[in-house]
Amino acid sequence: MPRFISTVTSIGSHEARVLWGTSLRVARLFLSFKSVLVCVGILTLTILSTSGLPSTIAIRLENQQGAHPIFKVVGWDQIGQISTQSARFGMDQWQALFAVYVDSGSFEDALPPMLGSYRIEDEALIFQARFPLQPGLRYRAVFTSASEPIILRFEIPKSEAIVSTTVEHVYPSTDRLPENQLKFYLHFSAPMSRGEAYTRIHLLDERGEPVDFPFLELDEELWDREGKRLTLLFDPGRIKRGLVPYEEVGPSITEGENYALVIDRDWRDAQGNSLKQDFKKFFSVIAADRETPDPKSWLLNAPQAGSLQPLSVEFPEPLDHELLMRLLEIMDPQGNFVEGSIQVDRHETRWQFTPQEPWREGDYSLSVDTTLEDLAGNRVNRLFEVDVFERIEERITTTTVSLPFQVLPRQ
Amino acid sequence: MSLNQSRMGLCALLMAVLFTTAAVSIDYSSSLKAGKAELQSAGPLAFGPDGILFVGDSVGAAIFALATEDTVSSSPGRIDISGINEKVAALLGTSADQILINDLAVNPASKRVYLSVSRGRGPDATPLIVRVDASGKIEEFSLDNVKHARVTLPNAPDPDAKDRRGQSLRMEAITDLAFVDDRVFIAGLSNEEFASKLHSIPFPFEKTGNGTSVEIYHGAHGRFETNAPVRTFVAYEIEKEPYILAAYTCTPLVIFPVSSLTAGAKVLGTTIAELGNRNRPLDMITYEKDGSRFILMNNSSRGVMKISAENLGSYEAITERTDIRGVSYETIDHLKGVQQLDRLDETNALILVSTDSGSLDLKTIALP
Repeated sequence: MPRFISTVTSIGSHEARVLWGTSLRVARLFLSFKSVLVCVGILTLTILSTSGLPSTIAIRLENQQGAHPIFKVVGWDQIGQISTQSARFGMDQWQALFAVYVDSGSFEDALPPMLGSYRIEDEALIFQARFPLQPGLRYRAVFTSASEPIILRFEIPKSEAIVSTTVEHVYPSTDRLPENQLKFYLHFSAPMSRGEAYTRIHLLDERGEPVDFPFLELDEELWDREGKRLTLLFDPGRIKRGLVPYEEVGPSITEGENYALVIDRDWRDAQGNSLKQDFKKFFSVIAADRETPDPKSWLLNAPQAGSLQPLSVEFPEPLDHELLMRLLEIMDPQGNFVEGSIQVDRHETRWQFTPQEPWREGDYSLSVDTTLEDLAGNRVNRLFEVDVFERIEERITTTTVSLPFQVLPRQ
Repeated sequence: MSLNQSRMGLCALLMAVLFTTAAVSIDYSSSLKAGKAELQSAGPLAFGPDGILFVGDSVGAAIFALATEDTVSSSPGRIDISGINEKVAALLGTSADQILINDLAVNPASKRVYLSVSRGRGPDATPLIVRVDASGKIEEFSLDNVKHARVTLPNAPDPDAKDRRGQSLRMEAITDLAFVDDRVFIAGLSNEEFASKLHSIPFPFEKTGNGTSVEIYHGAHGRFETNAPVRTFVAYEIEKEPYILAAYTCTPLVIFPVSSLTAGAKVLGTTIAELGNRNRPLDMITYEKDGSRFILMNNSSRGVMKISAENLGSYEAITERTDIRGVSYETIDHLKGVQQLDRLDETNALILVSTDSGSLDLKTIALP
């Protein structure tokens, strides 16, 4: 049985002290040590300690909220001897002397000690954890240089949950989606946690029943770098005609039906807190879109020279919001990119560009990267599904399409 | 011929053999430089020659080659560890719900298992490599001072760059990678456009961006042709020619020769199986048993499939909509919840399996 066990709620620096006799209980010492190597090392030290006087040993936790918290053994009268030998210690030997464990879970006794580094400094044996301690978790520090181990438990208080993260936008923003809709973009107000997206997103039909496996579930969830935007693809096997999933189960969403995309509030953000509230997007389904977006059908409203009026481009159908933010550019009469800001609105059927500097009179152009997609993943230069029996041979093969417009003098 | 002449002739022959061997063998490790391997994320794993571990770093848009220098089998045997997620979490001083085990790979040289792990689940998670042996010991494979090389994905956006409007650029999630024929093959999926890039980068890595990318397409029954991102793939040899055996995100299992993956090529995989609806293939390995070749594939909802891999080179693609779903396969009923799969040795596989209690176990199973 451990000689000293204590649970301490750790606020600030904590320590527990124990009177520890250094009398030579050599036989029990042998029985209690797991590592033969360390056993020999400690035995030597114990024999060297012949004062017979009790010493006071304490285990302290310092810098508990820091990036590398410190567990410190102080008051050990043999620290001097161990210090001279420690240069030869491997990690196993340090850990057999002093180790810190996570003190919870169903495999408590079989959990490995925490990663960190050891040193002896100012008469103290120091374990510096590699990672911060987790609020709400309990830790167990075990010092094993006595005939019986000294064990101390530290519980890190859980900070108060701040529930503030919300779903800010879902694109497409329209409530009429084609049957072969390819994806959603979910925008959150703060970084989210990975690994549970597909258990937190549901698609319900108009009876409120969940649609089975409507989305492509990837281990590598498609987040942006900030963890604030998730790309959610519909299962392409249920979009592509001719494949077994499409033929047997049909598309994830069906023309003429109504659905709700539901995001659980239980989804945790990167801080471990749930969302502020559930999110629902209702939509109805229209016929599948099997046409490529045609830039020739776009309506350009040119601004006047000398103004900061936006150039406005209107599309006959909604296009992919994120690609609209990246794949359209304005070129000036000299062929240089024009700096400015973009606004996409009217359910992604209008793109507006406001220049940083006033427009100058002359011939500008809108450059369109042909990988731009509509809601069904049809690109300017290629359909999502190319029917090779009815292939349109005049497919655009260039990477950009240029739409000229003229900036005229102010009237 | 005198004895001396014979000896000299033998020596010359030996020298010639040695010289020839030296000339054709590649010292893979010599291209790696010691230092800190600055991974931004640790995703798919694959072993190459000489204990070199390739790690896909989606956030950093890069592939790392790490010299594990773990080329001797230290403690061979079965690896069975219950609650590996809790134990790895404890090693990292946290709880199982705060880590992700992203992939596993068995080092064929040492039979140790390497895991790519994220400590934390947000965008600032710390990437780590953890390894496990048959004794049950779980330890970090330190990235602080390791011989390594890094190469960025071909045509990848610079992870530190912003476009002219200050927005974060797109990312490409690495879904799988493999070392085949002195090249690292990488399947990726964009978080914006529906692209289907398969990259190949020669190894040893020479310089940034010297790899090539090809678009992979799928032809459903010879009629509808679509971009077909690859979810998982494995190298497979047919009559000494390297092939890629791939599972698309839209579920068909296809095969194409590595020689077809040249820059600018349009690659259309030959469908060899359609594995049904409500299912997604997760991992694949190939093996031989009783003189026959098989593919073992774990799936999200259809368990583990043992697929016949005989005569795939002469296989006629599925071009008609029929009841025949390509190559024959059987489902291994007793294997449920298998999330990751790799081959341990000639007769065993290693699986990462989720249990009803929510924990993840590493288990050794006999190849079926």
